[in-house]
Amino acid sequence: MAEHEPAIGYRFAADIGGTFTDIACLSPDGVLATRKLPSTPEDYARAIVDGIGALAAELGIGLDRLEEVLHASTIATNAILEGKGARTALITTRGFRDVLELRRIRVPRLYEPLYEKPAPLVPRRHRFELAERMGPAGETLIPLDLDEVRALAARLAEAEIEAVAVCFLHSYANSGHERAVAEILREALPGRFLSISCDVLPEIREYERTSTTVVNAYIGPVVADYLCSLQQRLGEAGIAGRLLMMQSSGGTLDVAQVIARPATVVESGPAAGVVGAARLGGRSGHGDLITFDMGGTTAKASLVEGGDVVATDEYEVGGGISLNSRMVKGGGYALKLPVIDVSEVGAGGGSIVRIDAGGALKVGPDSAGASPGPACYGAGGTEATVTDANVVLGYLNPDALAGGSVPIDASLSRAALGRIADALGRDLLDVAHGVHRLANATMMRAVKAVSTYRGRDPRDFTLFAFGGNGGVHAAALAAELGMTHILVPPGAGVFSAVGLLFADFEVSHTLAWRHPLGADAPALLAGHLAALEEKVLAEMRTHEPVRLRWRADLRYRGQGFELPVAIPRGPVTEETLAAIRASFEAEHIRSYGHALGNHRVDFVSLRVTGTLPPRGPSGIAGVRQSIAPAAGDRPVYFGAGHGLIATPLIGRTALDGVARAGPFVIEEYEGTTLVPPGATAARDADDNIVIRLPDGGAS
Amino acid sequence: MTQLDPILMEVFKNGFEAIADEMALILMRTAHSPIVRDAMDFSTALCDPSGQTLAQGLTTPMHLGSFYDAMRHLIAQYDGDIAPGDLFIGNDPYLASGQHLPDVYVIKPIFAADRLAGWAATIAHHVDVGGLVPGSNSIGATEIHQEGLRLPFMKLEEKGVRNRTLMTVIAANVRVPDQVLGDIQGQIAATRAGEIGLDALVRRYGADTVAAYGEALQDYSERLARAAIREIPDGVYRFTDHIDGLGESPEPIRFEVALTVSGDEVVADWTGTSPQVKGGINAPLSFCKSNVYAALRSVMSADVPNCHGYTRPITVIAPEGSLVNAVYPAPCGARGITGYRIVDCVFGALAEAVPDKVAADGAGGSTLPSFGGRVDGETFVFSECIMGTWGATSTHDGQDGVPHMASNQANVPVEMIEADYPIRIERYGFVTDSGGAGEHRGGLGLARDYRLLADDVYFGVRSDKADHPPHGLFGGRPGAPAVNRIASAGGERRVPTLPTEPITLGRGDVFRHVMAGGGGYGDPLDRPAERVLDDILDDRVSIEQAHEAYGVVLTAGLSIDHTATIARRAALRGAS
Repeated sequence: MAEHEPAIGYRFAADIGGTFTDIACLSPDGVLATRKLPSTPEDYARAIVDGIGALAAELGIGLDRLEEVLHASTIATNAILEGKGARTALITTRGFRDVLELRRIRVPRLYEPLYEKPAPLVPRRHRFELAERMGPAGETLIPLDLDEVRALAARLAEAEIEAVAVCFLHSYANSGHERAVAEILREALPGRFLSISCDVLPEIREYERTSTTVVNAYIGPVVADYLCSLQQRLGEAGIAGRLLMMQSSGGTLDVAQVIARPATVVESGPAAGVVGAARLGGRSGHGDLITFDMGGTTAKASLVEGGDVVATDEYEVGGGISLNSRMVKGGGYALKLPVIDVSEVGAGGGSIVRIDAGGALKVGPDSAGASPGPACYGAGGTEATVTDANVVLGYLNPDALAGGSVPIDASLSRAALGRIADALGRDLLDVAHGVHRLANATMMRAVKAVSTYRGRDPRDFTLFAFGGNGGVHAAALAAELGMTHILVPPGAGVFSAVGLLFADFEVSHTLAWRHPLGADAPALLAGHLAALEEKVLAEMRTHEPVRLRWRADLRYRGQGFELPVAIPRGPVTEETLAAIRASFEAEHIRSYGHALGNHRVDFVSLRVTGTLPPRGPSGIAGVRQSIAPAAGDRPVYFGAGHGLIATPLIGRTALDGVARAGPFVIEEYEGTTLVPPGATAARDADDNIVIRLPDGGAS
Repeated sequence: MTQLDPILMEVFKNGFEAIADEMALILMRTAHSPIVRDAMDFSTALCDPSGQTLAQGLTTPMHLGSFYDAMRHLIAQYDGDIAPGDLFIGNDPYLASGQHLPDVYVIKPIFAADRLAGWAATIAHHVDVGGLVPGSNSIGATEIHQEGLRLPFMKLEEKGVRNRTLMTVIAANVRVPDQVLGDIQGQIAATRAGEIGLDALVRRYGADTVAAYGEALQDYSERLARAAIREIPDGVYRFTDHIDGLGESPEPIRFEVALTVSGDEVVADWTGTSPQVKGGINAPLSFCKSNVYAALRSVMSADVPNCHGYTRPITVIAPEGSLVNAVYPAPCGARGITGYRIVDCVFGALAEAVPDKVAADGAGGSTLPSFGGRVDGETFVFSECIMGTWGATSTHDGQDGVPHMASNQANVPVEMIEADYPIRIERYGFVTDSGGAGEHRGGLGLARDYRLLADDVYFGVRSDKADHPPHGLFGGRPGAPAVNRIASAGGERRVPTLPTEPITLGRGDVFRHVMAGGGGYGDPLDRPAERVLDDILDDRVSIEQAHEAYGVVLTAGLSIDHTATIARRAALRGAS
């Protein structure tokens, strides 16, 4: 692995989604350029290599001047969704091979006798048991029989198995048996991917640990093959610089380390957008944000507080759309590693509009997707979508999107939505506006799941809008929530790629530590944190000053869920403990409305995170324009109170530091931003569009 | 209703559901007992001023339909004496239209400008409320007074002031006051979240608008429910089911339902069901209704809002003094099993009406073992809900490792149990050959073994389906029956499914529970041989069962012997 050195060259970022591959480039002096091209699912690396090459050529940069390539990808998630991971075996304690399939029993849907569970990633025939047993304090109850292990290893060596996961009961307390098995497997199965629970997730709760270890094994060979091949392709294309990948927790990591622990990158794309929001929002004086990322099929929200992203480890991969993964469990595969807490709902530009059996208007969650797409794409879609409503309302350009590259036929939108309006016996514009508001009503739940559900009032936050449709819905969504500040960053339509450019390099380690917050804690706490720091620093291998942060997860004795608390870094004393307790109580009151007085508080885990800032500018100094700025006006409908208003169309650069009164529409290559009547917008020093709504909400 | 904006209605539906979800999340995260925080045996609801449910959290169906009866009871009892800052608590089946004593309601009226705007309601299964046995679900109780602390609806807070006397009485009457008071505190936190959520809606839209759309939502849900019922062919569908019975030599307890579907209405008539029994499994009427609603809701589309309105086209007739409409002083501690059987019985009847919308019979709800004793001077009570498996359907095999339809609960992690209690789980997994054979196979039953690491531990269990295993449908075979055993130094002995006498376990004793497997759907001889082979390779079906029940013959190399299989299947068909 390359050592960290300050940057001097160009930095490129590539975010692969199911439909598009987004490329962003930041020059050493902070100029941003972007490019969007179709993904190449048969060989994802191709779009990256082509996109970087094309953008570099456009900018006139030699490929040898690339400092680094930053990458986010859905490759790991896709392997799970499509069932195309490695043929994996699982080894468990005798009596427990079905823990993986039994899961936590709960299902994500009520009242559905025809519900089918997701198939386990390891079928029962590939789940093996060994005689061994640890107790909860790490005591050995049944010793491991090494001959039995060797016999199993020999059997696996014969089988067509590409990866092996090992998870024994209570291995978080004593990893001896798992390590002994790993050693034998490593010898007997050279070249096969091994995933050992005490390395992947040394934490109590056997299903979550087993599942996380299995996910890691299942995607391991796929991710390793992909990253090795990408590295090779970049090299062959003459693209210099190191390759870093985004982790679900919001920091980048060297590919060699990703290959060892691939489960850390499953949600890399969404994480990149949220981290970008935290960094760029913070620079512009907006440290408290709710990010709002609206694309074609879903909308996502996440919370940023004091410039920090919020991570959760209550996550399931492949669970489909989930409002809040903590309540709706069982639809996917538990992955208990830090993931930026993103709440997702099935509302996007492609969400289909219907009338249900009770006569109510419905929007989503089914989507017309990218193909056939909304009716106005003219690609065979006949069902009305949210995008069609936005075209009818005049929010979106009625002739073409993305600087002319996606032609639009507004008459198809009017026809599709007209059928709905006729069935309801209502005016077309009124119904289109209703669809816009219904999509907002659904998306409000995503915002609430990351704010009010955790005791946060959205009105205290700025809405940071991105994604292809973020700027179209931000103003109305904010108004519904009583929010008054909106930020739409440059590159909003390819913002996950942009976000990659501003993410820290990050290594973190966690220790499961169930211990009371009591008198004997300071010395133990100091020792554990020092050991974790040593581990983090060893992995970072740098001479640069690393920013180290300490965190503890705590809960009242008896509770099953923790709250995170930052520990001030420094000597650990009685005062440190008092500060931790005070922070915990404050967070408990904030989240749930009460504290429990003298009730015992327990540590559950400790976490040390080391970060290095990105090797380049910390903000965007300018944006390379790829299309001519919009001009003229068109009729736009902002609700019955306003009627159709002739509304000016402008480009981002037409705005400056002085607030301009709405209504107007900002049309750019990557997206459209709506500034309704009553609102104002300005452009700040970092090129963000800053929208202000009047208190009490615009309508 | 026709004057209201359909768009705004969707906005309110989303808003109400978000509030109920948020309440559930906060209760789960602040709760102290494994049965609430891990198993999630609780429910939350947002109700309108008249007590009708507007939305429920994604929790326990068998709780939800009963909120309305409790709310009506509370409102009638406190008419004219409900003020901002009040908070109610109650649990008694007879004095508070409750379910059983462990299920405690905590309910908060929500006011907007001194006018009642709605209610935030929660119900949680408390790990202990006193009475005869740890866990307060004694099968052997003969009257409710033996079952623990009875709470009529009382004000736990009056105008914002906590009633400390009441809290002290509760603490003194339960075996693990820390956990019980901690869970009550969690319920209070959830009601407060409900209050904040509804308050925000009222501030945004005004109390009158919220009320109008709340009522419209009920009508809308009712319309969808009626549309769904209209799709069920008219007719009278009957089904009979049994609980194995009480104690060592059980007499089967009979459930009989006649489901009359006529146009857009359904009547569930339980005439013919056994009279209430001298054992803690009697169900109050509110609980019976709730389970009928849950079962019928399951054959409606996913879009029907889970509010009170959908129950309007459903009528429940239950003879007073029967097992499904018990009267004072019938004990109810373990009535959950009766609720599960009510749901199963309605599904049994529906199988004839809508064979593609229901599954064959499943494991019959949770098995509820309870352990209690003292270790190092501290009292412990541990109970959990073991689930479960479903029968097969017309399109796929029975799901295994799933909750009963009426109760979306989770298991408690083995490692958490072992870290906190003197118990070691020695096995937790599927049982080969336990799924009922069928073209679609029933889900597998599962086994869970508990070794005790302390002496003098009380043990009780609520289970079923040893004598009446889950039935199959349309030629599918029944699942394997349930088994309870205790292994001790003196050997192994069977334990009744519903023991009425307390059992004492000592250090080293093992309680082994095997849950029933799900029923099959369709003739097992029609199951593709390749799928039977898959089941063999996965140890779900043995080579012997493949031969006996499925007529599939394998070669020595574990592949299908097609010729022998055809012959074997012909012989089996001829024999039947």
